[in-house]
Parts: sequence; C-alpha cells; structure tokens
Amino acid sequence: MNKQRNRIFFVPGLWITDQQLLRRTLVHKQYYSTPLLQRFFLLLISIFFSFSVFAQKQTGTLKISFINTVNGIPLVLNDSVYNNSFKETYSISKLKYYISNVRANKASNPQKEKNSYHLVNAADTTSLHFSFSLKSGNYTSFDFLLGVDSLRNCSGAQSGALDPLNDMFWTWNSGYVMFKLEGSSPQSGQVNNRIEYHIGGYAGANNVIKKISLPAAFEVIAGNTTELIIETDINKLWLGPNDISIVQSPVCSTPGALAKKVAANYSKMFSLKNAMIIKN
Amino acid sequence: MKTRVIISLAVLFFTAQFFIGAKEIAGPGKPTYISFTIPPGWPKPAHDIFANNKLSEEGFQLGRKLFYDGRLSKDGNFPCASCHQQFAAFANYEHDFSHGFNNSFTTRNAPALFNLAWMPLLHWDGSINHIEVQPLAPLTAHNEMAENIDSVLKKLKADTAYKRMFKAAFGDGIINSQRMLKALAQFTGCIVSSNSKYDKVQRGETSFTQSELNGYNTFKAKCAGCHKEPLFTDNTFRNNGMPINTSLNDPGRMKVTGDRNDSLKFKVPSLRNVALTFPYMHDGRFTTLGLVIDHYRTGIQVNQSNLDSLLKNRLPMTNQEKNSLIYFLNTLTDSTLIHSARFAEH
Ligand code: HEC
Ligand code: HEC
Repeated sequence: MNKQRNRIFFVPGLWITDQQLLRRTLVHKQYYSTPLLQRFFLLLISIFFSFSVFAQKQTGTLKISFINTVNGIPLVLNDSVYNNSFKETYSISKLKYYISNVRANKASNPQKEKNSYHLVNAADTTSLHFSFSLKSGNYTSFDFLLGVDSLRNCSGAQSGALDPLNDMFWTWNSGYVMFKLEGSSPQSGQVNNRIEYHIGGYAGANNVIKKISLPAAFEVIAGNTTELIIETDINKLWLGPNDISIVQSPVCSTPGALAKKVAANYSKMFSLKNAMIIKN
Repeated sequence: MKTRVIISLAVLFFTAQFFIGAKEIAGPGKPTYISFTIPPGWPKPAHDIFANNKLSEEGFQLGRKLFYDGRLSKDGNFPCASCHQQFAAFANYEHDFSHGFNNSFTTRNAPALFNLAWMPLLHWDGSINHIEVQPLAPLTAHNEMAENIDSVLKKLKADTAYKRMFKAAFGDGIINSQRMLKALAQFTGCIVSSNSKYDKVQRGETSFTQSELNGYNTFKAKCAGCHKEPLFTDNTFRNNGMPINTSLNDPGRMKVTGDRNDSLKFKVPSLRNVALTFPYMHDGRFTTLGLVIDHYRTGIQVNQSNLDSLLKNRLPMTNQEKNSLIYFLNTLTDSTLIHSARFAEH
C-alpha cells in the first residue's frame, strides 16, 4: 500500500509546474487524511485506469472529412456561379451545417463518438474534418445526424460547436439552425437577389433532424487512422424528392412545411467518396 | 510506449486523487453553493433549472450585475433592468411597449419576472424553451438591446471586475457565452414571489377583509380555471377573446407552432403582483384592472373560433363582485420581493 502511494505522487512531480506542485502538496496532505475506504476506492480506480490504458492498444482513430461540392465540383464561396436543375443561377456566400451523434457500426458493439457535435463551415477549412478514437475492427456502416438532436435544442446554454456565438441558434424561437446556406441568385426577387435557407425545427411536426446512414465497409487498425471522405452535392437542395425553385422559394427562415421539404432534399447530398487507412 | 503508459497512469492517478479528495479541499476559487427553496405547498417547478447550472452565491451575484449592466446593450442604455424594474415586480412600469435601441419599441408588453422555474416555456408565445437561452432574444433584438454576443463578451472581458466575478462563480476567469447565460439564469431563476398578503393568509399569519374574501370567492369561481393557484397561472396558452390588435397582427402561439388552432393564443400570465404590472395583456391594451374585468364581463368576442371554452358565456359579474375582485387582486402584491435588497442593483 505504501509503495503504491509513493508512486502516485512522485511520478507526477516529474513534469508539473511549481504552482501545480504547491497544489499537489495540498492534495498530498489531503490523501493522508483520507479515510481508508476512500483510499481503497482510489486503488480500485487506479487499477481500472491501468486496464483502460492497456485496452487502448485495441483502438484506432476514425477521421471524417467533408468535401463540399456542387455537382461534384468543389465549392468555391462567393465567386463561383452554379446552376440548379431549373436552370437557375446562383452563388453561395455561406454554408454551415451540423453533424452530430456520429456512430460507426460493426457486427456488434457500435462505436459512438463522445460529445459528438460538429459545425461544418465551408469558410473554415479546419471545420471540414474531425477525428475520434474507436475500437479496431471491421465496420459495415457509418451514421450521423444532420442537425443537432432535439435534446440539445432545449437544454439551455451550450458551448463549443453549439455555442450561440456560432450564429446557428435562433434567438427569437429557441432551437438550432441545422443547416444554413446563403448567397444570391438573379432569380430571387429578394433584396440584393438574396437567397437564404436557414433550416431548423427540432420538435413534433416541424422536426428537420435527419439521420444519415452511409454504407461503408472499412477497417480500423489499432494505432492507425482510417479516413472517411464524404462528399456533398449542394445542388441536391433544389431537386428531389421535392422540387424547390429559387424563383418560388428564395428564402426559408422559419421551421415549418418549406423547411421540411428543403431538409428532405439536402439530406440526400452525402455520399462516401473514399475510405482509406493512413498509417501513423 | 512504456513511458507513455507511465505518464498516462500517473496523470490518471493524479486526477483520480483529485476527484476523491475534491469535496474537502475548500479554499479560494470555490463558489459557495446555495439551494433553491420551493415555497411550502407549491407544485414542483416545470424544470429543474439549476440541475446543470449549480446555483452559487457568486453565480447569483454575477447574474445580478449582468442584469443591471447597460453594457449588455449596444449603446449602453438598455440593461435588462430598463424593461424589467424591481419596483414593478420586474415588469416595465406604466409602459405598454418598452423603449429599445435607437428610439424603437418592443412589440409586446414586458412581462413581470418571477417564478420562472415553474414556466415550461417563456415569452408570451412560448417561443423560448429554456431560461438560459432567453437572454439571447433581448440581447440581439434590434428593437431591444441590439447587441451581438461577441461584442458583449469583449466588453465583459475588458473589465477586471467581471474577470474576478466569473472566477469566483466558475472557478476560473474564463468568460464565455455559456457562463454569462448561466449566471443570468441564476439571478432571474431565483426571483420568487411567495410573500404577498394572499400567501400570509394561506399560511394562517393574517386574514382577508370581508371584501377581499368576497373577491377571492369570485376569483375562484371565474378566473382560477386559467389563473390557477398558487402560481396564479397554469402556464398554458389560451385565447381570452380579445380582438386582434390590427397594428401588430400578433398571431401569438401560432407564430411558433404554425398551427391555426393556436391563433391568438397567449401564455396565461401570473396575476401575482398584478396591481404593479399595468398596463395589461400582451400588448398592454388595458390600463387598469377595472378595464380588464370589464373585458371578461362584457368585452369578450364570443364569435372567435379559438375562444377558450371557459369563456364562451363571458364571465358575468355585478359591479360589487368586480370591486371585491379588485380588492382581492391587490392582496397578490409581494412587497418583500419589490423591496428585497437581494434583487436590487448593487
Ligand atoms: C427593451 C426591453 C427589454 C429588455 C432590455 C429586456 N427585456 Fe425581457 N422582455 C421584454 C419583453 C417585451 C418580453 C416579452 C417578449 C415576448 O413575449 O415576445 C420580455 C420577456 C422576458 C422574459 C420571459 C418572461 C415570461 O414570463 O415569459 C424573461 C425571463 C426576460 N424577459 C428576461 C430578460 C433578461 C434576462 C434581459 C437582459 C438580458 C431582458 N429580459 C431584457 C422586454 C425586455
Ligand atoms: C380561459 C382562461 C382565462 C380565464 C378564465 C381568465 N383569464 Fe385572465 N388571462 C388569460 C390569458 C390567456 C391572458 C393573456 C392574454 C393576452 O395577453 O393576450 C390573461 C390575462 C389577464 C390579465 C393581464 C395580466 C398582465 O400582467 O398583463 C389579467 C389582469 C387577467 N387576465 C385577469 C383575469 C381575471 C380577473 C379573470 C377572472 C375574471 C381572468 N383573468 C380569467 C386567460 C384567462
């Protein structure tokens, strides 16, 4: 028991700063005044953690990358002009959407990313990929929510990707904008030919949260990274299953019937382009 | 590899140790946690609003400072308290609509603020689903505080007093939107009104006069179906038969749900402190309680398709009943709340 104790405290001493050392001394004192039962509990935790360190040998990393395209051509904000299936012309100045609750599936024991909330923002290349660790093995599919799950839409102030600072939380009607596309089109009768799709709604009939499942056979090797490259086709927003033309619907900014139609369309925009193993 | 294992083990041991002992290590930087008391005999709050926002004295005080701070608004003139005044039970005294940025007005009457934990949804139309995100609405509305979160945070970060207070409330000096919103919720969520004459009568500490008692009986017969005791609201959305205000065309609850059946439904407001919260209704159309009661007696538009079934026959009342009802409504004023130093600007 004594030996165990020493190890706990000398090892951290190797790299912690003076200030932390001071604190550690406090903690150290605390340790000796800790009742036996708690110390036993500590020992249990230690053993548990040791196992988890060894267990880590069985884990690899899954990296998810997004390439936003229009009709397969990589999206360029502002400057490029595109055509939708109604021969309407448009350009895009802003594209942001939430990816959450990411899960990789295999025969047993699906692997969920913890605290899985990501805001993909076409204007910020660092937002176009994220990674998490998971058990090694052969996976058969991959799924995520396009949007923020309903619980987080009504759980108060959030942080990180869900921070209202990201300008993806409605202030007049609580809830996240799940998908935001802004730009312009000569076919829009709005001010400055603006087009604006702020798609949200998390409850009941207005729910636009989409579960996206991509069949994907890929392997995760312990200690290595597997990258899944997902391509989007933004043009899907206007076509199928619902016809949405810019001339008729240049703007959607409230939850409701139109938002649901737009979401049904853009939920078809994802496809798996490639899965590859990157040796670490 | 071996060193990595050792290091991670050590880190884990260290943190484990910290968690186990954490309870007893008291010292500077640790907030003083306080509890939220539910008045005896009251129902459980609609939300456990402090479950993920541990209430502390320091958090409450930070929230109070934010509530009274004009810097949360674009030009410095519109703190929360400019529209929610303590002496009016945190409603906007004598204003049908409140003043906002750049000589604008709000489009609804600023409601009194108290007993918010018992409200499943906030705002007249229930558009806000959580007390923590509520401030985002006035902060960013161009006709209210007209600010954006980024700029508010910059102002707060530039102030050493805030640095100190965020540290006291949250353990370190990081200032972010989540903490600001949680602190505000600690303040507004703690505003509870439960010490009016009515409450004292219920607790057996005093008794009603004869006319107050008569008024109470009228109230129970005519009004309590919606303005339910002890909160004096059931927090549902209903149409109480007022003609639409054609200069606003406010659809009420329908704005949120898109459902025609919700047209012209508004949240039943609490009648606690009602003597102080005039003018009345979502658009402040009635200036006195007498006019409100006249609406229920004779003014209700009985042909409205969504009119609440409790009001189909209006609420007929003699003048005497009306007068005693007003006496009763005056017993709902909570002078403890409006004079409490705890909720005042410091
Ligand atoms: C310019 C005036 C104004 C300012 C400033 C203002 N409010 Fe309000 N407040 C209102 C109005 C008007 C409403 C009603 C809004 C509605 O129903 O659409 C309201 C509603 C509320 C509610 C909901 C109450 C209920 O019964 O549903 C809360 C809580 C609240 N405000 C808190 C705050 C806080 C906190 C601040 C500061 C961050 C603030 N307000 C700033 C005018 C204001
Ligand atoms: C069918 C439900 C219902 C009944 C019964 C009812 N009310 Fe109301 N009351 C409401 C609703 C809903 C509102 C808010 C309407 C609005 O603002 O559009 C309201 C608002 C009020 C207000 C305004 C409060 C404020 O702060 O603005 C007062 C005062 C009031 N009622 C008094 C009474 C009295 C007194 C009675 C009994 C004579 C009564 N009510 C009966 C539903 C009801």
